[in-house]
Amino acid sequence: MVEMSDSGLVPRLIDALGADAVKTSPEDLGVYAFDAYSQGRPPDAVVLPSSTRDVAAAVKVARDCGVPIVPRGAGTGLCGGAAPSAGGVVFSLARMNRVLELDVKNRRAHVQPGLINFELSAQAAPAGLFYAPDPSSQRACTIGGNIGTNAGGPHCLSYGTTVNHVLGLEIVDECGEIERTWVEQSGYDLTGTLVGSEGTLGITCSAWVRLLRLPEAVRVWLAAFADVESASAAVSAIVASGIVPTALEMLDRLAIAAVEAAFACGYPTDAGAVLLIECAGFSDDLDAYESAMQQFAADCGALSWRSARSPQERDALWAGRKGALGATGRIAPNYYIQDVVVPRTKLPAALEAVATACASRGIQVANVFHAGDGNLHPLLLYDRSVSKQTAAVIDAGNDILQAAIELGGTISGEHGIGFEKRGTLTRVFSTEDLAAMARVRDVFNPRGMLNPEKIFPSGVSCAEIPR
Amino acid sequence: MIAQRLAPRSAPEVGDALRECAHSNGAVRVEGGDTLRAMGYELDRPVIPLSMSKVHGMVAHEYHDLTCAVRAGTRLAAFDAALGERGQFVPLDAPQRAKATVGGTLAAGWLGPRRHLYGRARDAVIGTHTVLADGTLVRAGGMVVKNVTGYDMSKLYVGSFGTLGVLVQANFKTLPLPPVRRVLLAPLPEGTRDRAAAQLWALPVPPAAALCVEGFRKAIDGTDGIDGRVFVLLEGSQALVDRATREIRSALGRAGVPETAIVDTGAAACFERVLDACIENLGERSITFRVLGEPAGAVPRAVAARDAAHRCELFTDVLFDVMNGDLFLRVSDRDARTFDAKAEAFVDALTAIAPHRAIVGGNARIRTAIDPWGRPPGALERMRGLKASFDPSRILNPGRFIGRI
Repeated sequence: MVEMSDSGLVPRLIDALGADAVKTSPEDLGVYAFDAYSQGRPPDAVVLPSSTRDVAAAVKVARDCGVPIVPRGAGTGLCGGAAPSAGGVVFSLARMNRVLELDVKNRRAHVQPGLINFELSAQAAPAGLFYAPDPSSQRACTIGGNIGTNAGGPHCLSYGTTVNHVLGLEIVDECGEIERTWVEQSGYDLTGTLVGSEGTLGITCSAWVRLLRLPEAVRVWLAAFADVESASAAVSAIVASGIVPTALEMLDRLAIAAVEAAFACGYPTDAGAVLLIECAGFSDDLDAYESAMQQFAADCGALSWRSARSPQERDALWAGRKGALGATGRIAPNYYIQDVVVPRTKLPAALEAVATACASRGIQVANVFHAGDGNLHPLLLYDRSVSKQTAAVIDAGNDILQAAIELGGTISGEHGIGFEKRGTLTRVFSTEDLAAMARVRDVFNPRGMLNPEKIFPSGVSCAEIPR
Repeated sequence: MIAQRLAPRSAPEVGDALRECAHSNGAVRVEGGDTLRAMGYELDRPVIPLSMSKVHGMVAHEYHDLTCAVRAGTRLAAFDAALGERGQFVPLDAPQRAKATVGGTLAAGWLGPRRHLYGRARDAVIGTHTVLADGTLVRAGGMVVKNVTGYDMSKLYVGSFGTLGVLVQANFKTLPLPPVRRVLLAPLPEGTRDRAAAQLWALPVPPAAALCVEGFRKAIDGTDGIDGRVFVLLEGSQALVDRATREIRSALGRAGVPETAIVDTGAAACFERVLDACIENLGERSITFRVLGEPAGAVPRAVAARDAAHRCELFTDVLFDVMNGDLFLRVSDRDARTFDAKAEAFVDALTAIAPHRAIVGGNARIRTAIDPWGRPPGALERMRGLKASFDPSRILNPGRFIGRI
């Protein structure tokens, strides 16, 4: 609990932003207590700023009133990063949703944080450009939220994650000061440090991002295997071969059944696992890539090989992958998605650990994940209304985190730490490692009012370092 | 009593050295290969050199995973060779690869000409081990290619010029070596440069690197050939490189370039000579400036900078990176005695054209009279805050970095 001295908070916010931009009804506050992971504590107010100046003004009010500041994109985050843990003011950036400048000559764009990820690529497409990071929630999630979590997506195998595409940021810090950063200039790389800081260092008010040229040619293939072990072997063979696909995704038997039931996208339901492989690039190379990929799959015992022959077929194959999370709703009322990363050669061991963690507790698990990156997303299926199932799922999730760490991996590849995993951070990093992070936090967020109780386990500060 | 020169052999020894230094109220100059020594202010406290050259060698090359871990003092050439045994590389495109180290290249945040295609050095880093000013060893990231577990502290250490901590190990994601590398060299008469740059920037198959060169004659192709050339590096499959060659010849033809020579054998060495030219200097009578920029509008800016130097009666050698917009401009004079006054006059003109220009090579003596970093970037106070938090006693490279951090 944060000590409250919020007398006058709401009137002062209204004074600064106008009544239209401040929400205080119990219904509104209830909605903003959630993100896609969890329910936090309802905030004291929600503000919907329209400009950087609005953000700065509202931050100053929150600071003066001594209440937490919780930035929020679309609320699609999966680790509780946007759910207020101690009340305060939620900053929804939904109204700051424009492309401010499309700089085609330099292949970049200046965008506001509330811009929907997919919308940027849609607006850039007529110029032959696109924005590479594409989280599965890209039709809902925002660029600002993506920056907060350093979001990935299936295509970061070859294009990299959000941080590789952010050129500069405009942020408002805990004191309401506006700061601008640029990645390619002398000085500390504040841009790179801010990306992925989950709203604990500042609120992103605008960003310059890199746009890439749309690939000349794209091929998508689907290889089916008897089991996840042989599919994993194919992943290793492909990664080690020197051909880096733009995406290399795996779905296991249960996930295949779910997406086929939902979308009938043509995945073979008798397979134990499928690999969705995409290579984008130059027409000159893609025939050779296809032969190579097909050979790797065959060498690992592939049951079948399918090549999408049209853009429609390509989209159909992708629809299964991108809609997999929702599709599991047909199997169980609730799912809990885990996000861990292991070195790519450790995929079989990691999948085995996932299976064991779930089977021993009688939990069904579907795996849909970025195999090429070693980034697993086990979907633990359960029914919240059945007693003890939630606890069993949390236990299994913990075992999966531990297994990833023991295999030389880590506890989040792209979703973030948020509220959910902050207690687990001490299993990955030493007190000294975390204290170094806290030094950075304390420079931007000295009072700890920016998104409190996120990322850091309770009680981490630089003071813990013996001087 | 502390030694005159510290040469630790391991991360714990780096920690011991820094603790001892702190105890005696001393400070250190962290040294890699010393190739970028021209960058930054003179240190503002007496320092003991801390050489990282004995903290070297590969820690691990997980070639099936396309990752590796390497100690900071490893020379770039040795790093290339070790990765090359498994057909892989990390695009750390810094000059003087036989001397330059992995740690030094990262600390300098060096930006190379292939980054538009492969990413910056910092984008390839997946983890670091760093010794902080108080001797504490801290780790960031790991050995996986995607990681959002806590702040990405490596981003802060990379490019910090050793002022926040001493890098002792870096983990990278590696890339497969391209099957074919080819260099194209073509004459580029003055009137064709703007158009040629625009054509190269818009090529369907982007070259791995494309630079317009004026001067640096022997440095690059070893000849006294014509002045004004374009250097293009192509990387990829044979089919792709052949196609790109055709397209480049045709594009340059449209820009008015008559002929293009192909260098297949020795393409890698030729590229390294271009990298070396970025900091090549003529002792006391030259300074090399770097201006980072964006591709659009960069040619006129390069021309303006060069012409300003000519007005100050300085000789110029120019490297212009078409794909990233960077400019490397070496100004020189025949005689060191006349050079200083001319250079000082030129710097004012250059700073007006490119406020954030930095010195990357040349005359150490005159640098005290010229600000080596140009106008400070935004957020300088925040950077000072970070320095004060990480190194309150100013032990690490005191005063070298931007804003005399």
